[in-house]
Amino acid sequence: MSLIAFSDIRKVYTIGAVTIDALAGVSFDIGEHEFVAIMGPSGSGKSTLMHILGCLDAPTSGAYRLEDYDVSQLRSNDLARIRNRDIGFVFQAYNLLPHLSALENVLLPCTYSTHAVSGRDEKARALELLERIGLKDRMYNRPVEMSGGEQQRVAIARALMMNPPVILADEPTGNLNSKGAREILDIMKELHADGKTIVYVTHDDTIGAEAERVIRIQDGRVVADERN
Amino acid sequence: MDLRDSFRNATRAIWAAKMRSFLTMLGIIIGIAAVVMLMAVGNGTKQSILSRMQSSGSGNLYLTAGARSNVLMGGNPEGGAGGFAASRAGVSSGAEITAQDLTYIEARVTYSVVVSPTNQTNITIKNGNTTMSGTGIFATPTYFQVENVTIADGRMISDGDVSNRTRNVVIGNTVQTTLFPNESAVGQLIRINGASYKVVGVAASKGETVGSSVDTAIVLPFSVGEKSFGIAHNRVQRTTIECVDPTQTKVVIAEITDILTLKHKKVDFTIQDVAAMTALVTSSMTILTTLLAAIGGLSLLVGGIGIMNIMLVSVTERTREIGIRKALGARERDILVQFLIESSLLSISGGILGIVVSVLGSDFVVSRFTTTAVTGSSILLAVGFSIAVGVFFGVYPARTAARLKPVEALRYE
Ligand SMILES: Nc1ncnc2c1ncn2[C@@H]1O[C@H](COP(=O)(O)OP(=O)(O)OP(=O)(O)O)[C@@H](O)[C@H]1O
Ligand SMILES: [Mg+2]
Repeated sequence: MSLIAFSDIRKVYTIGAVTIDALAGVSFDIGEHEFVAIMGPSGSGKSTLMHILGCLDAPTSGAYRLEDYDVSQLRSNDLARIRNRDIGFVFQAYNLLPHLSALENVLLPCTYSTHAVSGRDEKARALELLERIGLKDRMYNRPVEMSGGEQQRVAIARALMMNPPVILADEPTGNLNSKGAREILDIMKELHADGKTIVYVTHDDTIGAEAERVIRIQDGRVVADERN
Repeated sequence: MDLRDSFRNATRAIWAAKMRSFLTMLGIIIGIAAVVMLMAVGNGTKQSILSRMQSSGSGNLYLTAGARSNVLMGGNPEGGAGGFAASRAGVSSGAEITAQDLTYIEARVTYSVVVSPTNQTNITIKNGNTTMSGTGIFATPTYFQVENVTIADGRMISDGDVSNRTRNVVIGNTVQTTLFPNESAVGQLIRINGASYKVVGVAASKGETVGSSVDTAIVLPFSVGEKSFGIAHNRVQRTTIECVDPTQTKVVIAEITDILTLKHKKVDFTIQDVAAMTALVTSSMTILTTLLAAIGGLSLLVGGIGIMNIMLVSVTERTREIGIRKALGARERDILVQFLIESSLLSISGGILGIVVSVLGSDFVVSRFTTTAVTGSSILLAVGFSIAVGVFFGVYPARTAARLKPVEALRYE
């Protein structure tokens, strides 16, 4: 059974008299351990798609199944638990909390976890993750004291904190130079090798080319779905 | 999210905007201080009035001439120096209480009573070159018992003094210290309205009481009044009647009323009950205190609206943070609790500071002008109120925050 199943997902925005079909019936399956890139022109609906995948937004219609959950039927508390435990979301704009240190940012998901883990174990895991992304020596730095690439690495560590099976990244390299982008891509490949399912959005053909599978979107529809 | 984390987050957020948090708290500080201080003034006033009233014994009745249609509170019917003179409306002229009336009453009342007839007049007291004005109280030995006046030095007026019209007097504490600063007055001669009297005793100080204070008074034998001070023969201005069993006061009032009405053939007298007046004062002062607290409560309300305002600003400013927290798994409840704790913390700290301000304020500032009493219950009320204000005015902003949709909150710039 696939990990993610999207069938005929639609998202309609209504602004006054104008309706925008951001997603006009999207269907696809993503299996476990897949490494997928989503590509398409600006405004084609990639972010809308990622937000629905990440349980940050609800589709106007259509069915979304993640693991055993029928996501479209879930209530806000269950969605929060899925965001906490089953999905790690990485944003283009990093979205670290500015008043917290790198370490505190990585620990943040634990505060919303429903199963109790000792504080010492949590901290050990956070430090291990920071070590893995090469920023252990920056753990007391706040986001403003780090480069974009470093912030995005901290954001990835945060997404990994609860050890979710799925990592979703909406243009994780969009704000980075090629060196920073490369580092992020390498980390994602490593995570994939470790068994995570990874879905990321990119504009960049060379970065998209690294994925095992590319889903192309245009005007809210899937126009191509190819395996490299 | 456990509560300890929530508290740490909340203190952090409050501390991050120190000035703004303090200004917000100021509303609560002022509100709580106003409530506590106004209640302190109310309670203080009540306590001081009650202590003055009760210093003359709570089982006492006052019998005076003239039927009064509108008697609120007792006091000294002739002078009214205590500030609570009874209304004189409806005093029928010509009515009087005589010594015979009192003997008549004493003989017929079934419960045992102690009767103390008194007359009063203003006098001038002189020793050598020192002169002071005071009150002359013409009384019998029972006066000392019913008014709880004790003798600090010497002796009381005796029955012999009364029957022989002896010019022996007991002086108040202030009279003693004014006229004889360096020595005991007992055995000395003083001049009252020009005539010579012998001091046989000094009364212990009682402080201010309702009516005239014994401290600035001179107690003279009852009979001396009509002999040397022009008080009409047999006339008694005010009689204090002490019920030996205070629980029977009501019955005694009824009996005396019946006895005297029968004798005078009309109700041309008034009996006042100290216990009833005390109850009246207590209830009216409680109303006053509540009113004062309500006025203070208004400023607390304004402070609460200030908290709500600042929390709404804070929610708007931190919309993106809320979105991030939700993306990481925060439930609506987590966000709600976070903002509620923050608003409660603001108002509780404001409340505690307000209590400190009010205790200092009423001890060092307000107490110079009036009696204050900060009571435990008013502090409890203040704390409870400030928690309630924080929660009540925090709920709306916190719910607004909790219900934000994750994507929309994340999109917020
Ligand atoms: N909240 C919204 N209200 C109205 N329209 C929206 C909203 N969000 C997105 N849209 C519209 O939906 C369409 C898809 O937007 P989306 O952000 O998903 O595009 P995208 O593929 O991520 O673009 P980009 O590559 O520029 O990030 C666009 O036409 C956009 O204007
Ligand atoms: Mg986008």
